[in-house]
Amino acid sequence: MQNRILPLIFTAVALTLPALAQSDPLPPTSALEKQLASRASDVTEVTLSKNMLAFAAKIMNGKDKDDAATRQLIEGLDGIYVRDYEFDKAGEFSAEDVDQLRKQFETAEWSSLVKERERKTGESTDIMVKLVNGESHGMFILDVEPKELTIVLILGPIKMEDLGKLKGIGGLSALGDVAINVKEKDKEKSKDKKGGDQ
Amino acid sequence: MGTENEDEFERELRQAFARRPAPPSLKRKLMERGVLKMKRAAPAERSFVPWQRLAASVAIAAVLAGGIEWHSLDQRRKEEAAREQVFLALRITSHALDQMNARLAAHHRGGQDSQY
Repeated sequence: MQNRILPLIFTAVALTLPALAQSDPLPPTSALEKQLASRASDVTEVTLSKNMLAFAAKIMNGKDKDDAATRQLIEGLDGIYVRDYEFDKAGEFSAEDVDQLRKQFETAEWSSLVKERERKTGESTDIMVKLVNGESHGMFILDVEPKELTIVLILGPIKMEDLGKLKGIGGLSALGDVAINVKEKDKEKSKDKKGGDQ
Repeated sequence: MGTENEDEFERELRQAFARRPAPPSLKRKLMERGVLKMKRAAPAERSFVPWQRLAASVAIAAVLAGGIEWHSLDQRRKEEAAREQVFLALRITSHALDQMNARLAAHHRGGQDSQY
């Protein structure tokens, strides 16, 4: 009897684990992020799984225009991961720390949309997008200031037209600009592809 | 001697315990004395039971309704908190992009190098 139950349990676990892994594609908080959080004077952490986003979308009914626009954006997403660390003084994190954060997304499936460095102050911004068949399936933003470090990871199909609609909402104007940049990047990529094929 | 007395006692005892039908006048006598009236009054007491049941049903319904309402409010509160988290995440994202835009604008003005 026991011989029959054990394989069944193993099969159930084997089938369940990938499903669980798929349901939460957001990365766990890394050791480096924990270190940064311990040094920071102000930490903001937002982790929204697909389920949580669906939950939030429920309250965003069509009556409010801003809510409806946000709902359209978040409905298809797999998750949002935001970390914002503010420090009392500069030098609380090193360039190596920033490189370590950046390297996680320096893979073939992620394309750099914006790569901006300011040598004098050490400020930098990286925006990377995960393009799949001309559609954005993820966005990573790493913004580094002398006393502030912001990590944003949005996973799932991001509809640029939905992102553009958020431009009108107070405090979200810059999101509309990203939509334009991503569209331009996508066009460039398509041109490169066509050029490469010829 | 002793055995005869015992037999006599046993016979009396058996007679005393023997089941006899009640005389027809007994009911009337009891009615006159009011014993049976009390018994008839008992169903009137029982009429309280449906009221108690009704009160219990109302109390259970109130508890259930309260529970459902509390659950609904709790659900609404959680949804509202999730909505706030979404806007917070988007605001932080927008703030980071604003800072980048400001730097890029400064670069363009200052003619410094940047890859864009």
